[in-house]
Amino acid sequence: MTDDDAAVSEEDSESQLVEIIFFKSETCAFCPRAEEVLRETIEDFGPEMFKITTYNVTKNPEKAEEFGVFALPTIIIGGMSVTGIPEPEMLLKMILGFKMGVRS
Amino acid sequence: MSQYKIERVKTGIPGLDELIEGGFPRGDTILVAGKAGTGKSILATQFLYRGIVDYGEPGVLITLEEPPRLIKRNMMRFGMDLEKLEKEGKLAIVDLSPARTTSVNIEEYPSFDLSGLEAIIMHHMKKINAQRVVIDTLSILAYKFKSRDILREEIFKMCANITSTGCTLLLTSEIPAQDTGLGVFDIEAFLASGVIVLYNEKISDTSRSRSIEVLKLRGSKHSSRIHSMRITDEGIRVWPGEISPGT
Repeated sequence: MTDDDAAVSEEDSESQLVEIIFFKSETCAFCPRAEEVLRETIEDFGPEMFKITTYNVTKNPEKAEEFGVFALPTIIIGGMSVTGIPEPEMLLKMILGFKMGVRS
Repeated sequence: MSQYKIERVKTGIPGLDELIEGGFPRGDTILVAGKAGTGKSILATQFLYRGIVDYGEPGVLITLEEPPRLIKRNMMRFGMDLEKLEKEGKLAIVDLSPARTTSVNIEEYPSFDLSGLEAIIMHHMKKINAQRVVIDTLSILAYKFKSRDILREEIFKMCANITSTGCTLLLTSEIPAQDTGLGVFDIEAFLASGVIVLYNEKISDTSRSRSIEVLKLRGSKHSSRIHSMRITDEGIRVWPGEISPGT
């Protein structure tokens, strides 16, 4: 996973890509663990399945404002978000939900 | 008693400064609490508007509830042209109202902070060199997040960081209809060094009376009475010599 404003880890040419947006800040003590959980959860899938964008709101507060993100860490997958260090099961549900939504 | 004088920020509400030794202590957090329709948002926005127009202090309005276009429209009724101040770079209205939400939060784990909100506020403060900040209304956060203990601590931290820059911060808090406290957190008063309560009490079958009370203001001698207040064509006005008929 890259760690820059609007950094994209994979090409987004395929519409099947699961789009994940991860919000963190430099003062957020929970963010490193949340990032680890996210990375470990998607490890079992092929990396080509995801388009991950990480926003550090300390450097890029406009993105927090654009997405209305007050609390960190926040992970957005397909219009749904979780706040705090997520359980892997919840992330899996969100990923599957996104895939189902794309198919239907 | 020492002759040391605390620097004051004029409130911009005619009559209010006379109740609080000339204004809010600069760099403090002030809570304006009241039930729906008591004039909290008008008072808070007037504090910013008059701060810019009369005292040359740029301000940031963080709106968590009402969209900016409605705030601007409503304040124009009092002759306060917020749009103009925005264009002049003296006022920033930050729209964080629910209408702006781009995602649906499906789960909240008790391991978060409010550094996102703080980064947004600090960014706008820095851009216009703000000396006054309003968050209207804090109560929305209580509906947005369920982990109240974390939220309280985080709001406290955020307020401390905002005021550490020298900015005077005014928060509004809505008191639920049947409630006797100062807002949905029950601890709003602890967050702030000053608490102003607005009332709009029914005094007869056909009329209501608006009033204002300075419940606390650290470092200040303030009136302990409940004073008459009216919403006039120029905004809120307090009558320091007039005790509310509803009390």
